[in-house]
Amino acid sequence: MAAPGGPRPGNFPPNYNPNSLSNNMQNLQINQQQPNNAGVSAPRPPPNATPFGQRAPAFAGSRPGPPPPGVFPRAPVPPNAPAQTTLPPNMVSSRPAGPPPGSQLPPPPFASRPPPPGAMPSSIGGPVTPSPPALGPRPGSYPSSPQTSAPSTPSHGSGSGPVSNGPPTFAPRMTQSGPPFPPAMGSMPRPLVGPPQPPAMLSSRPSSQPMQMHSSFGGPPTAVSSASGQSAPPFSGPPQNMMPPLGSSPFSAPNTGMHQSINSPYGMQTWPAQPQQVAPPPPGSMQQPPLMFGMPPGGQSLPNQSMAMSHSGQSNIDPNQIPRLAPSASVIVHETRQGNQANPPPPATSDYIVKDTGNSSPRYMRCTINQVPLTADLLSTSGMQMSLLVQPLALAHPSEEPIHVVDFGESGPVRCSRCKGYINPFVKFIDQGRRFICNLCGFMDETPRDYHCNLGPDGRRRDADERPELCRGTVEFVATKDYMVRDPMPAVFFFLIDVSMNPTQTGATAAACSAIRQVIADLPKGPRTMVGIATFDSTIHFYNLKRSSQQPLMLIVPDVQDVYTPLESDVIVQFSECCEHLEMLLDNIPTMFESNRIADSALGAAVKAAFLAMKNTGGKLLVFQSVLPSTGIGSLSVRESEGRSNISAGEKEAHKLLQPSDKTLKTMAMELAEYQVCVDLFITSQMYVDIASLSVIPRTTGGQVYYYYPFSARSDPAKLYNDLRWNITRPQGFEAVLRVRCSQGIQVQEYSGNFCKRIPTDVDLPAIDCDKTIMVSLNHDDKLQEGSECSFQCALLYTTVYGQRRIRVSTLSLPCTNMLSNLFRSADLDTQFTCITKQAAIEIPSAPLAQVRDQATNVCINILYSYRKFCATVSSSGQLILPEALKMLPLYTLALLKCIGLRSDGRIDDRSVWINYVSPLPTPLVIPLVYPRMIALQDLNEKELDDSIIPVPIPLSSEHIAIDGIYLLENGVDCLIYVGEDVQPNILQQMFGISSIEEIPNQFILQQYDNPLSKKLNDIVNEIRRQRCSYLRLRLCKKGDPSGMMFFSYLVEDKTANGFSYVEYLIHIHRQIQNKMA
Amino acid sequence: MAAPELAQTDPEGIEGVRMTWLNWPQSKVEASKCVIPIAASIQPIRPHVDLQILPYAPLRCKTCSAVLNPFCRVDFTALIWVCPFCFQRNHFPHYYSSMSQTNLPAELYPNFPSVEYSIQNPQNFNPAVAASPIFLFVLDTCMIEEELEFAKSALKRAIGLLPENAMVGFVSYGTQVQVHELGFSEMSKVYVFRGSKDISKDQVLEQLGIAVQGNRRAGPGMQKSGGGPSPVAGAGPNMGINRFLLPASECDYTLDSLLDELVTDQWPIAPGNRALRCTGVALSVATGLLGASTTGTCARIILLVGGPCTEGPGSIVSKDLSDPVRSHKDLDKDAAPFFKKAVHFYDELGKQLVSQGHVLDVFASALDQVGIAEMKIAIEKTGGLVVLAESFGHSVFKDSFKRIFEVGEQSLGIAFDGTLEINCSKDIKVQGIIGPCTSLEKKGPAVANTVIGQGNTTAWKMCGLDKSTCLTVFFDVSSGEKSDPAGSSQLYVQFLTSYQSSDGQMRLRVTTVARNWVSGSEDLVQGFDQEVAAVVMARLASFKMEMEEGFDATRWLDRNLIRLCSKFGDYRKDDPASFTLNPCFSLFPQFMFNLRRSQFVQVFNNSPDETAYFRILLNRESISNAVVMIQPSLISYAFSSLPAPTLLDVQSIAPDRILLLDSYFSVVIFHGMSIAQWRNMGCQNQPEHEGFAMLLQAPQEDAQLIIRDRFPVPRLVVCDQHGSQARFLLAKLNPSATYSNAQEMMQTGSDVIFTDDVSLQVFIDHLQRLAVQAS
Repeated sequence: MAAPGGPRPGNFPPNYNPNSLSNNMQNLQINQQQPNNAGVSAPRPPPNATPFGQRAPAFAGSRPGPPPPGVFPRAPVPPNAPAQTTLPPNMVSSRPAGPPPGSQLPPPPFASRPPPPGAMPSSIGGPVTPSPPALGPRPGSYPSSPQTSAPSTPSHGSGSGPVSNGPPTFAPRMTQSGPPFPPAMGSMPRPLVGPPQPPAMLSSRPSSQPMQMHSSFGGPPTAVSSASGQSAPPFSGPPQNMMPPLGSSPFSAPNTGMHQSINSPYGMQTWPAQPQQVAPPPPGSMQQPPLMFGMPPGGQSLPNQSMAMSHSGQSNIDPNQIPRLAPSASVIVHETRQGNQANPPPPATSDYIVKDTGNSSPRYMRCTINQVPLTADLLSTSGMQMSLLVQPLALAHPSEEPIHVVDFGESGPVRCSRCKGYINPFVKFIDQGRRFICNLCGFMDETPRDYHCNLGPDGRRRDADERPELCRGTVEFVATKDYMVRDPMPAVFFFLIDVSMNPTQTGATAAACSAIRQVIADLPKGPRTMVGIATFDSTIHFYNLKRSSQQPLMLIVPDVQDVYTPLESDVIVQFSECCEHLEMLLDNIPTMFESNRIADSALGAAVKAAFLAMKNTGGKLLVFQSVLPSTGIGSLSVRESEGRSNISAGEKEAHKLLQPSDKTLKTMAMELAEYQVCVDLFITSQMYVDIASLSVIPRTTGGQVYYYYPFSARSDPAKLYNDLRWNITRPQGFEAVLRVRCSQGIQVQEYSGNFCKRIPTDVDLPAIDCDKTIMVSLNHDDKLQEGSECSFQCALLYTTVYGQRRIRVSTLSLPCTNMLSNLFRSADLDTQFTCITKQAAIEIPSAPLAQVRDQATNVCINILYSYRKFCATVSSSGQLILPEALKMLPLYTLALLKCIGLRSDGRIDDRSVWINYVSPLPTPLVIPLVYPRMIALQDLNEKELDDSIIPVPIPLSSEHIAIDGIYLLENGVDCLIYVGEDVQPNILQQMFGISSIEEIPNQFILQQYDNPLSKKLNDIVNEIRRQRCSYLRLRLCKKGDPSGMMFFSYLVEDKTANGFSYVEYLIHIHRQIQNKMA
Repeated sequence: MAAPELAQTDPEGIEGVRMTWLNWPQSKVEASKCVIPIAASIQPIRPHVDLQILPYAPLRCKTCSAVLNPFCRVDFTALIWVCPFCFQRNHFPHYYSSMSQTNLPAELYPNFPSVEYSIQNPQNFNPAVAASPIFLFVLDTCMIEEELEFAKSALKRAIGLLPENAMVGFVSYGTQVQVHELGFSEMSKVYVFRGSKDISKDQVLEQLGIAVQGNRRAGPGMQKSGGGPSPVAGAGPNMGINRFLLPASECDYTLDSLLDELVTDQWPIAPGNRALRCTGVALSVATGLLGASTTGTCARIILLVGGPCTEGPGSIVSKDLSDPVRSHKDLDKDAAPFFKKAVHFYDELGKQLVSQGHVLDVFASALDQVGIAEMKIAIEKTGGLVVLAESFGHSVFKDSFKRIFEVGEQSLGIAFDGTLEINCSKDIKVQGIIGPCTSLEKKGPAVANTVIGQGNTTAWKMCGLDKSTCLTVFFDVSSGEKSDPAGSSQLYVQFLTSYQSSDGQMRLRVTTVARNWVSGSEDLVQGFDQEVAAVVMARLASFKMEMEEGFDATRWLDRNLIRLCSKFGDYRKDDPASFTLNPCFSLFPQFMFNLRRSQFVQVFNNSPDETAYFRILLNRESISNAVVMIQPSLISYAFSSLPAPTLLDVQSIAPDRILLLDSYFSVVIFHGMSIAQWRNMGCQNQPEHEGFAMLLQAPQEDAQLIIRDRFPVPRLVVCDQHGSQARFLLAKLNPSATYSNAQEMMQTGSDVIFTDDVSLQVFIDHLQRLAVQAS
């Protein structure tokens, strides 16, 4: 296999096809958006438009990038790296402190802690210098250091060099020993590293006491930074240890590491980045081990580590020192392979630019672990799971090179004749290029004659660099007739609107019509775009839009038990032919049904009828529904117990209510999928609608559920419009089939996401778009070869909105390892946690809630336990040691337990919605969903915003909420703006146009006023929207109000009725681990 | 009326009743020897100049509920009348007290065996409102553009002719059924029903959103109104049905634009297949829709159909074009897989319509069959009209269709909701009725054991009837000796027809006829009505052909004719030459000869649809019209002589004659060879040949006269001798000259018919021979 290698980046010209789909899509959108925004905006403030715009080229970059800051430091981290180090200490410490964890309750531990920090410092301290960055707050102490460290890192990371980011560095190390990197590194653009990190990171944190702490931790942080360089300095101790481990047996190393600081445990140290880990934290007090968070290199997480010190009276743990995300502000440049080695990707939530140098961009495919364990045993020992998250149509950063489109002409793409894998950079050509060995199944194939090319001295084909399919991890092939069962389908958009009494009176119908009315201008242009529309109450009303007359014809299908389509043609019409009629109709529908007194709604029948109309073509069915379907096929009833209150009673079988009530809709959904109809449900409801049952349809057909509850005719139409617009304009494909192939030894165990499972090997997707992710769990069916690489190839066959049939192929090749420490070091936290979340979501409907919750915690415990036992055995049992890469796992897990989906006090529908939302959600959105981002707004004016628009996030703890502050918290769906009781009126006036807190409206619409504060707020909101590809439901919250309760329910680090505080949770985990150890 | 050669003036008279036998044989045995059954042909609401309309309610006998009539014995002093049927003595109410021998109420005038009572609606409904009839148009859209245009323009014209208060509904269909909601102003709105699935009335109402509202609100209303006839409009504006049925005055614009936009059915037709046409379901839906109106509402479903039903219930043929529509041969061989099911479907539909009191009219215009044979049962049971034409652009359709809606002289006198009851003297039993009606299953002593047609009752429902509607009632004589307490030899039959006239009034026509019991053959002979007998035999033969499997109509007719001749002819045994027939029977053999050759018996020349069509009309037309169907009339026009009826024989053809043939379904103007030549030369345009022009004109005018009065409008064929269209004439003529005897017959320059059929002469010869040797 020729390594596509980083080396050749740059030369693709020949094959490169500028018009790749994705490009087109993006471009289009872009164009549209921009304009649209303006136009569209009507409902909402202009700025908003942008959010969606993201896809727009302009933004493109934006998405990924900026956000990070808010997000987790990790990615961006590089700079932070140092920070991480810091963190480790804290985190752990808290609990651990109580060395006697078991016996002592939190308090004691804390108490003890304080000291540790001090202690820590020493150990850590050394390293400290760098750390500062990590601890935003403390910057003072560390500031300098981090940077310094950073620089150092580069040297190391050089490999990763490109970016300061720790991650890259990793890659190199991981696979290979430290040494190799250096060279690679050289190539990379280190320079970046230095600068970005430090500044961004730190600044924000407002830690007070920290000072001391910092110092103590500071040490650690530095470590981090150093990590890159070699943390050595900071944690001098650890590093050294570290080194050994790498070289030697995986485990051993860890141990050593353990002793000292966490760092060591991980093989990480080897890496430059790792160093940070050092997690002496908690124990701080104790030199030893009290608690260690190993924050391995993975993240540069330094920042988090604040220690748990005892600053507060009682608690020993300083919340500020617990592992937390460190924001990163800078954009990371990531090469997917360097030095013929897979380069571990930056955190999914960071802002990065990918250079495809052989491996697929992590946007399209990423693995939970960036090294593949040789055996199933090794994997199970680690407690981690091995899964891929594939998002084949993910939006790229605008600065990234578009995906190359390769046309093999009539013969179609070259494929392995045995496993049907597609040609990729890891296929090995032999025998002067006459034959090639498939990297997936190992079969030897003849090279097709006209594809033959001689090999160069390096064993690669001489044309490898000119052929994208031989040097790019992701390419798109033009599909030939062999890939079509029929001509590519047109882009069909069918709108189905509930016009029964409820929605017509609540304004939902009008909102839907108005949204559609505005959105149709954004439909793909051209003769292949078809539209149809129908409304329904207890009957189904189709409209014949293709008429010479002035008015459309309404065709009613009254038989909702056994539906049919009322016209063979003309129900779905070329958009260009019916545009005017459609607009007029949309204007009329709300008034036409204004006085509708029919309360029944035949959703199932309407979907079926629309399906029959679309059967010949397939397409997207966009359904606007407001009430529980009460008549016709698939009608639902208010289910026992829950229905009345819509709250689960908490009985044993409560989760049953989260399961579909019967099979009718499932059967229908399968049929829809078979005929390539994708259903998206927009639920604008004010009551229980049994999402659990309804959602079967979108889930099976590759669609999704949008939920507006309680629907407000005032504030929701803008979101509805924007959601619809993004739904229609985002990059997407139709009649798709996806399949993932793996190298021998690994097999796909299961796919999960929103699609139709007909046969186990293929994923049938009536439609797929850039926001849809599929989780692919993998398992071993054989032992892998030591020293080999393992490849994963995801092939997506689909039809573009313009009717081209394409195959998008992403190939990822990862090194194999038999060292446990390597697994921990190369673990991808975001991806891991996304998988955990998705699995929990899958479990919820079928298992008692307590079990699901325990399971989530157990996963966390098992991983940490494994690490503790095998990689950090030397440290005292009193220490909680976290692998650097996974140091945030406890926090995330805690946050997960407090998610609406895993709480027993939520409305049934809300929980169902959560489950459904998570199912196809891409990694960068899962994290904020579980662990929202909170920023302070009151001092916007005072801050000079650096390059990022969004201020540095603050931890989700009420300790950070000041009574004179204003805070914005967002999770990608909702955006809550909390106004403290003592906020200065002038700020209120400037931001919201109100003079006192009493005037806070229930239904809030963000407006831009003519003052810098308001502008900044709007900029921030728009930036978030852009990042999340979501318009967000904005709400103003204040204390003593349900809205305030809601806001505080998102502060997951607080102790609540539902669970532990963060510190408590760490202690809990630590205890569990200790029990296991015993 | 239109048959000049039979121009007895008004044989029905004011009674509107004609019987095969004016005098009835006394015993059952005797009756059966008469060969021709005792039957009456009655036109229940035939208009007559002398008919008295009485503005008060009739007096009824308290036991048998017969109505007071001229044949009642009246005791003027005691104010008592004796019912002639049951001999019950009834008191006159006080307001008859001024009556005397010389001051008789109209119903007792001997000259008025028929009188009509105008009945006040018991509910005191405003008659203007009550009168609103409903016209529900059901239009097939599976046809070519041009045909659809014709149909649409016919519909538009019809709607223009409707009275303002008439309620109009519109249903179109093809592969699916579309019920147009005319009352929806925002846009055109239709309810679509699947064509492949039968649908009950309740489902229709529920799905149209009528049931719930309608039932709930109409319920109390109906109770209040006593459940009597309450037309739709009276049921209150809340009834959902008003969304679909609007007064003509309100919806003509809507309908007009709706029709303008209506296009042919858009469902694709697979190559080699027929269009999917769900006539059956469309009618089900229409019926269901009308079911929302209250009982007793007058409503017609007017179906315009352009082809066979191929989808859903009522299908008559498969979608595959390579399967031909069933023929008589298929029916005979039981090779028509759809037939029985479809007939059953329409039977049920008919019952439903009858129970609602609504009418089904069918206007079919197609080159192929559309399924009239299957629908016949529903049409006949409801008393609907039917017209079969080749195109909606053809005058047969256009003019007929227009006639329905015309008022005044030309009006068909369409009435609704008719009920016929028969009272008769004790020894008379009613076997049943052949004609457009439905048995109401009203049992009684007068019900015969044997049933013909709609039997087992003495009351019948006629949802739709008009002034020419004709029914044939078959009587039986009870087997016992005539007990004759009063010593009278008279028998009485009373026909009571209640109906709602086209102007919305409730009427009761009472016709009482008296006949004599006779025992001698002589009296029987004198009372024989050949025309009625011929028609009754034709109706009975048709009926038996439909009902009895393997029935050989020709043999049956022959045998009966021979028996009749044996019984009533004068002859010496085994001497054919001695055979003579009383003049009262003289025409009958010829009628039978023509009947044997007619489309009613020789069905294989026609499609089942045509046969059904002919039979429907045979059964519902007046005797004189029916006679023309059996034996067409032929009038000859020549120079130097007045137009005169001439023999229905090929020898009537002459080069210098014009013949006018009226075979009821078509009117043929046939120009002799020379006439045709002259005409082609344009002689008629030359002033010196004015006579010729008049000669050419005369048959045209007469033909128009015939056409004008007739419904359905006959097809007018103008042809020349030796022209291809001449077959319309030749087929009806007695083939006295064929190729086998051409030589001897050719002297007159007439024509030859290429056939193996026997001529009338041969037929008569055989008849004589068989008649004399029989028994």
